Amino acid sequence: MVLKVENIAKAFGRNKVLKNVSFEMNHSSLYGIAGENGSGKSTLLKIIVGEWKSDHGSISMNGRLGYCPQKTLLFSHLTIDEHFNYFAAAYGIHKNELSSRTELLMNHFNFKRYRNERIARLSGGTLQKISLAIALLHRPDLLILDEPYNGFDWDTYLRFWDYTNQLKGEGCAILIVTHLITEKERFDRIYNLIQGELI
Amino acid sequence: MSRERIITGLLMILKMLVRRRIILIALVIIPLAFLTGIELTASQRMIPFRLASLDVKVFIEESQKQIALVFFAVANTGFLVSFLALNLIQIDSEVNRRLIICGYQPYELVVSNLLSLLLVIVTIAIYIGLLVNAFVPIKHLPLFIFGLTLIGFVYGCYGLTIGSMIRGKLEGILLVFLLANIDVGWLQNPTYYAEAHNNIIIRYLPAYFPSQSAIIAAFTDYSIANAGFYSLLIGSGFLILSMVIFYNKMRLKK
Repeated sequence: MVLKVENIAKAFGRNKVLKNVSFEMNHSSLYGIAGENGSGKSTLLKIIVGEWKSDHGSISMNGRLGYCPQKTLLFSHLTIDEHFNYFAAAYGIHKNELSSRTELLMNHFNFKRYRNERIARLSGGTLQKISLAIALLHRPDLLILDEPYNGFDWDTYLRFWDYTNQLKGEGCAILIVTHLITEKERFDRIYNLIQGELI
Repeated sequence: MSRERIITGLLMILKMLVRRRIILIALVIIPLAFLTGIELTASQRMIPFRLASLDVKVFIEESQKQIALVFFAVANTGFLVSFLALNLIQIDSEVNRRLIICGYQPYELVVSNLLSLLLVIVTIAIYIGLLVNAFVPIKHLPLFIFGLTLIGFVYGCYGLTIGSMIRGKLEGILLVFLLANIDVGWLQNPTYYAEAHNNIIIRYLPAYFPSQSAIIAAFTDYSIANAGFYSLLIGSGFLILSMVIFYNKMRLKK
């Protein structure tokens, strides 16, 4: 078991956003959580990664976590290479390993030519790719993606699925949260978050 | 605590600071413009004044221009460092949170930010100290620069405290500039408080001890040890407060 979410509840004032949400994920699984805008999907993810505290319930996690938030959280005055260096320090990746991993990701997602550009000068789609690449940098055991393919072109979208399928094959558990799931056959399981409950 | 993470953090923060045009303009142009303005407008009229931290019998007599240059150097350092510190802690807080989710410890980011701030304070203090000395002779230049470093430390840590507490940029800037303007930019001016009816409140404001240190070093041979000690104490108080707030805000809630 890679992730176990038990009876998570969260309210903002009188608004109960999550009510006893529970699920488990094992290695080599791909789950989706769908829901309308404002249904509490991002709230659930923020609780799982530890950004917010739940009012009730518990989370247990085994292995390395990769998290790609909905908002492309990057430093606008640093280059792509500098981001990889900064986040590699956070993950504890050795410099020798880092260069092969960044090369692989930059080639796969096709943004190598921008490696020395500052973030402020790049397009929204490229920022989304970089944000995703940061989450993948340390070969996570659990990958949590919040609306990951917003802004991707068709080619990048296909490359994204190639990469996630490969990761899944290597044992990674992947949780994708999105307001719109189009290719349901790609997922092992899809939950709907409706009125704070997973259905 | 990982040394590699702290050094990486420090280098990245310094790169980001240097690449922001507004920061370079604020640090280089503003002090030069202020001091040139004073040089061009202030008179050479001699003004006697007392320093609140020295004996009541001690009177100093300097030209209006000299007093204004030294006072504005102190005020400028306080303003600039507090603004910078506010920016440092507030501007990329969400990305810093992502770094923490990825493995950074909050205190490693705190140390990186603090080291960057200290480097910036010393750079600003040396630059403004040398700049003032080019306009007007300073009696003890190294001690004067140390006094400017102290005002930078106190107001830098105040900026960090506000930046850790307040999320809104405009609200943060308002709170930083409000105190900096009233305290270091007005009430600590020796020609103002020397004739004030009640100057007790001035002694309880954060800029009192560091501005006394800088002004004593600029014009007299008296020791700044006492004022320096209390400046460090006040700055450390703000520093601890800001670090506790920052740590609690940034740590993972698991």
